[in-house]
Amino acid sequence: MARKKNPNRTFVLTAVIGSLLIMAMVTANSVWASKQTGVATDEAVSAVSSFYLEAMAERRAKTISNLINNSFDLMGKAVAYIDDEGVDSQEALRGAIGKVESLLGLNRFALVDEDNIVYTHYTTYTGGSRHAFLSEAEITDRTISTVSLYGSSKLLCLTSPTPGLSILNKPFKACFVQLDIKDIVDLLALDDQGRTHFALYSKKGGNLSGTELGPVISNHNLFEAIRPFVPQEVLREKRESFESEKEGSLSFASDGMEETLVHVPIQGTDWEMAVLIREGVIRDQIRDISEKTLANSRNQIIFTTVSVLALAVVLLIQYHKLSRDKLKAEKETSRAFKTMANTDSLTGIRNKHAYAENEALINQQIQSGAIEKLAVVIGDINGLKYVNDTQGHAAGDQLIKDASEMLCKAFSHGAVFRIGGDEFVILLQGEGFDTMDEVIGALNRRVEANIKADKVVVSIGYAVLTPQDRRLGDVFERADNMMYERKKALKQMGAKTREN
Amino acid sequence: MRKRGNRMRLLLAVMMTAFVFTVCSGSFPAAGSAAGLSGESPSNAPEARSGGEATPSTSDDSVRSAVNFDHALDAYAPLKDRYNFYFTYKAVHSWWDAVALGMEEAQRQYLEKGITVTYEYMAPNAASAEDQARRLRTAANGDYDVIGVDVADEAVISPVLDELVDSGIKVMTFSSSDAAEGCKRLAYVGNTHNYQDGADLTEALCQKLDYRGKVAILLGNVGAPCHEDRASGAKDTIAKYPDMQIVATEYDMDSVDMAYDLTLKILEDCPDLDGIVCCNMSNPVGAARAITEKGSGAVIVGMDHDEDALRYLNEGVIYCLGVQDCYSIGFDTIQVAVKLADGNLPGELFPEKTDQITTVIYQKDAALMLELLYGEM
Repeated sequence: MARKKNPNRTFVLTAVIGSLLIMAMVTANSVWASKQTGVATDEAVSAVSSFYLEAMAERRAKTISNLINNSFDLMGKAVAYIDDEGVDSQEALRGAIGKVESLLGLNRFALVDEDNIVYTHYTTYTGGSRHAFLSEAEITDRTISTVSLYGSSKLLCLTSPTPGLSILNKPFKACFVQLDIKDIVDLLALDDQGRTHFALYSKKGGNLSGTELGPVISNHNLFEAIRPFVPQEVLREKRESFESEKEGSLSFASDGMEETLVHVPIQGTDWEMAVLIREGVIRDQIRDISEKTLANSRNQIIFTTVSVLALAVVLLIQYHKLSRDKLKAEKETSRAFKTMANTDSLTGIRNKHAYAENEALINQQIQSGAIEKLAVVIGDINGLKYVNDTQGHAAGDQLIKDASEMLCKAFSHGAVFRIGGDEFVILLQGEGFDTMDEVIGALNRRVEANIKADKVVVSIGYAVLTPQDRRLGDVFERADNMMYERKKALKQMGAKTREN
Repeated sequence: MRKRGNRMRLLLAVMMTAFVFTVCSGSFPAAGSAAGLSGESPSNAPEARSGGEATPSTSDDSVRSAVNFDHALDAYAPLKDRYNFYFTYKAVHSWWDAVALGMEEAQRQYLEKGITVTYEYMAPNAASAEDQARRLRTAANGDYDVIGVDVADEAVISPVLDELVDSGIKVMTFSSSDAAEGCKRLAYVGNTHNYQDGADLTEALCQKLDYRGKVAILLGNVGAPCHEDRASGAKDTIAKYPDMQIVATEYDMDSVDMAYDLTLKILEDCPDLDGIVCCNMSNPVGAARAITEKGSGAVIVGMDHDEDALRYLNEGVIYCLGVQDCYSIGFDTIQVAVKLADGNLPGELFPEKTDQITTVIYQKDAALMLELLYGEM
């Protein structure tokens, strides 16, 4: 036997599963989008880091190069100024040096005579062992050298020859300035907003600036510091890169944090400028943006989910209402059809179909012993054929209507059925059963009166349910027999028959 | 909670006891200047030169305080706003460049106070008492508030200094070589324990050699008090041990190359040389180079902070080095010169001899000392 489908259940299931699927898809999409955002963030961090750092390193290297070039230019101007001053004493020379330091912003400016005696603003000293560039008998070119002083402070020494310079009747062979790396660091730090770390390195990776290149490398030797975090080959490449004054970049992870550094050579020096950024710094900035985007996405997802759910609920409510209305309409139609099927169209009372339904119900009650009081009354119109034949079917129909009306009035507490052309059945229960004798008596008297008045005559026979009866038909049969007996009696009283 | 409180009190008590003990035992480094002002040898570390025995280990704190770069002028208020000095020293050499840096720091700090200090700081390329005498006499004609000298040869220079003092010039000595006993110079800032430095380094060498073996002594300049005193300390120490023998005593004239040549010659003459006592800064560098080249097992003890010497120490070629606090010598020299220029004499303001420490360091201390003095390049 095929299982009958419940359309409501199917719809609800479809709606629920559909909603869940939509939500699942939206969620999966949002998760995927989040992951994609993360990946994109990482890529952006990487790309931005390198790009940003490269620009930063180059800018800082350029700052130092400019400082060096400016210093050389100023040294030239300083020498020209002192030469023009025509100093005539050591004190005057010191004063002139002090003036150019002040005027040109040249720190630690000094002149060197042919005996390697160094003249500064405040001191005059023999400098042969102190300044490596003085080991050369003749100074012909500009030189840039890194000087590590006793006490580990480091200077960038810029030397320039001073051909033709003579002061106090002594030839002077060179001038120089010493730029303290700390001052250079301060200058570079102005450029920074604390987002990056930078340091100056020697070719061997030694930290010259004393600045910390992030918490991992700190101010240690660069190569020693990164050794635990990079493969040997990378380390070797970096060493070569520094030695050959090349630029490059390096990324390594420490404590789960990606560090990226970019190094560029500083022109004219044997320094490498390294700038490092912790992934976290850029990541935090990009993450702020990403989080805002994700928050918007989340809100959108929540809004979409709530909308889908609300729509689903509304649809379900509407469907439920529609189903209920439809069911109601079907019930009404069914009831109308049923009424139509059970009603005699001529008289408006219940017909034989209705009787058959009642008979089946009553048979069940009889068999289950649920019914005790039941009487069946059978009424048959006398002379209907005669009227039809002599007065037409309209008169015959009227006769049926009259008989029906009379029976309905008489058995107001009973169920009246027209089960044939001229035959009626009345089922009596309850009060109808209790008043049966009086009602039938009165009806028979009226019928007998109608014979004389030439009105509708109905032969009545009836029977009561007995314990022996197994079905309604048993009672019906006894009532029917009685009805025929009554018909005969009424014929003798003058009632019309088929024949007359 | 009570147990925890008791434990905390106990810990606090232990810490306080340790602190008091540490302070009382003098383990905290004292400022070189303060030690100098007291006129006593500083006792900031067992290895610091105050007559203590050299040991083959030195604490990081002692190494860090071997040279004091953290100086501030004392409370003395100079009487003038301009001072001009003349200083001369034995020879152009990086040891005196380190002294110069201390001087420049003092000059810078005076300038911050509005006091201008100018000076000349001059030396010949090679040590020469005659050259020094000439420079001093020339300076005597200059307009200097004070003349300072690192005595090249006490026998030659001390009389010159007396001349200058007699002519009304304020004269001081500084660095590592004072004038002869009885010289009229007004004050001295520098190493006052050269003899003991030589003795202690040699004692360490003897101990290392198990008090037997052949030893050479290298010096710088003939007559230079610091070198000669150290050599005297070394000789007297070796004399204590009958199985120790001095096979050579040579002067390198403060030249690394000459120290190298001399060591090669000594090794040639005495291939089974067991040790070398180096009395100046250039000696140990030249000696270590020669020893390395010849593959000799001679143990080197020496003086000072030459970068190459420190690297040899780090590599174990040199056994130990006595590091002097050049920076403090320079700083205090300017302070004392200013006071002398104002007419002050040794007494409450400053001692006649402002002592500076020497710290003996060993192989394990070399890396830290290199970093402290030269950083990384």
